[in-house]
Amino acid sequence: MAATEPLVTIRGLSKLYSQGEIQVTALDDISLDIQSGEFLALMGPSGSGKSTLLHIIAGVDKPTCGECHVGGIDVARLDESALADWRNQNVGFVFQSFNLIPVLTAFENVELPLLLTRLNSKQRREHVMTALDLVGLADRAKHLPKQMSGGQEQRTAIARSLVTDPRLVVADEPTGNLDAQSAQDVLGILQSLSQQAGKTVIMVTHDPKAAAYGSRSIHLEKGRLAE
Amino acid sequence: MTIAGFISKNALRNKRRAALSVMSVAVSLFLFVTLLVTMREFMLPPEDVGASLRIAVRSKVSLAVPLPARQLPLLEKIEGVDAVTPFTYFGGKFRGEDFTTFAQFAVDPARFTNVFVDVKSPAGQLDAWIKDRTSCIVGKDTLDRYKLKIGDRMKVTGTFYPCDLDMKIVGEYSGTLDDRSVFFHHKFLDESLSGNNVVGAWWVRAHSAEDAPQAIARINQAFANSSAEVRAETERAFQMSFVSMWGNIKVLIGSIATVVVFTLLLVAVSTMSMAIRERFRELAVLKALGFRRREIFTFILAESFGLAMAGAVAGAGGAWLFFHNIDISKISNGIFIYFEVTPKIMGTAFLVASLLGVVAAIAPAISVARTSVVDGLKTLD
Repeated sequence: MAATEPLVTIRGLSKLYSQGEIQVTALDDISLDIQSGEFLALMGPSGSGKSTLLHIIAGVDKPTCGECHVGGIDVARLDESALADWRNQNVGFVFQSFNLIPVLTAFENVELPLLLTRLNSKQRREHVMTALDLVGLADRAKHLPKQMSGGQEQRTAIARSLVTDPRLVVADEPTGNLDAQSAQDVLGILQSLSQQAGKTVIMVTHDPKAAAYGSRSIHLEKGRLAE
Repeated sequence: MTIAGFISKNALRNKRRAALSVMSVAVSLFLFVTLLVTMREFMLPPEDVGASLRIAVRSKVSLAVPLPARQLPLLEKIEGVDAVTPFTYFGGKFRGEDFTTFAQFAVDPARFTNVFVDVKSPAGQLDAWIKDRTSCIVGKDTLDRYKLKIGDRMKVTGTFYPCDLDMKIVGEYSGTLDDRSVFFHHKFLDESLSGNNVVGAWWVRAHSAEDAPQAIARINQAFANSSAEVRAETERAFQMSFVSMWGNIKVLIGSIATVVVFTLLLVAVSTMSMAIRERFRELAVLKALGFRRREIFTFILAESFGLAMAGAVAGAGGAWLFFHNIDISKISNGIFIYFEVTPKIMGTAFLVASLLGVVAAIAPAISVARTSVVDGLKTLD
């Protein structure tokens, strides 16, 4: 892929929800390019459609119409099974409430996506430790989520999102449940992923300070890109 | 971490619930196995070594109709017949008990051990019994139960025979499947009844197991169209004629077993649904990470199956150990001699547990499969 070619290309994307007889427009004719290695902050008020857009780009939701190409693949056209494989190989997820499995250690949580690969135990260990090292948690590998702070949990979740070496990392309000210092740490890591590792990071946030870490911000209002 | 490790950590994440789930399956399967064994004991009483050679000969009309004693020499002449003994159920009461735990049979002592070859008695006791027409031999279990010893008196009160019997215990026997009965001289019964020339039934020993079917046919034919037609049958068939009286019991036990399994199924489905319901978020995250529906279903199935099988090991295995180590005859007051948990019953219990594990996983798995990643993730906030 050429350096200038966008990783994400969205054209005429709309998403409608039916609530009984009422149709709600979550996204309305969105067209957008996101360059490879970009750190994009998606902003907007609640209900503006930013999370829906993020979900469609990440392949966990389908548009009603329009196209969403990620790395040249129209994710809207992939079937359930192919989409699951595609997500495992191409997308890292970071959620607001971390979503680590409580009975697994930090190491095991990060290892989870690798269970779907052909890597052997030793190779998985190397990948997991590299990811944990990258977020500064190599010494917490054996800790359970309940034994870690919120910031450490979110850094573990970032390590999990990175462990398969995806091209795209999507983060939905990643600092929403964190104190200021932990939020800075997490945003710093996401920024370095974009700037140093060349990952494309798309982050949904309400917080302008968080959005300032991004290389670009776009605003959504009532399902449309704001002028 | 392996997939199996991940599944087992999930299954044991709520240890109390996992333990209670396993216990509910275990207790239900213990009951299920108990019911199956009970039904089996009713339907298929155990046989000893000599059973394949023994033939019961009774009145063709009914077991309650006696046969003339004059049939003995005719029976002994039939080809394929090695030995014959009269065998009359006395049905007396002992020590005024409402339910006497042992049966008393009038036999011909000299012929008896030729037919019931499994009967083992200490040296000299059988001879003593044969010589004394007012004596009897008593099964070891009955001797032990009533703390009787050689030389004691055995007094039984007639219920449907109008006489009481007072006999001297001259021997004990063991080696049969049911070492509880009392055997005494048929002549003593005849005398007590003032010249009774009938017997309740005949027991015959065939020359060989291969000869038995032909011997049965010859016996039936020998008395056909006589005033006392007989019905000869194998020991197994004879026992099954009693079992047919338990028809309703079979339905009852079968119904209870079905209810047990159905209730167990409801409990298992409810437990698995609860366990999965509270992990909906995590399962949505797993889907987001790339786990497919079939992998999620495998996790749920393996967890459910694992808990069910743990319950099966505890319940069915526990039943096997329990019934293997207790004296069921004593506990059941002699109603059951053996309570054998056979490989087939164990297999049935494990099969039920397997099906339970699979069926319990289906509803939660469908529920998870139907929920999109986005809907699952929405439950996060």
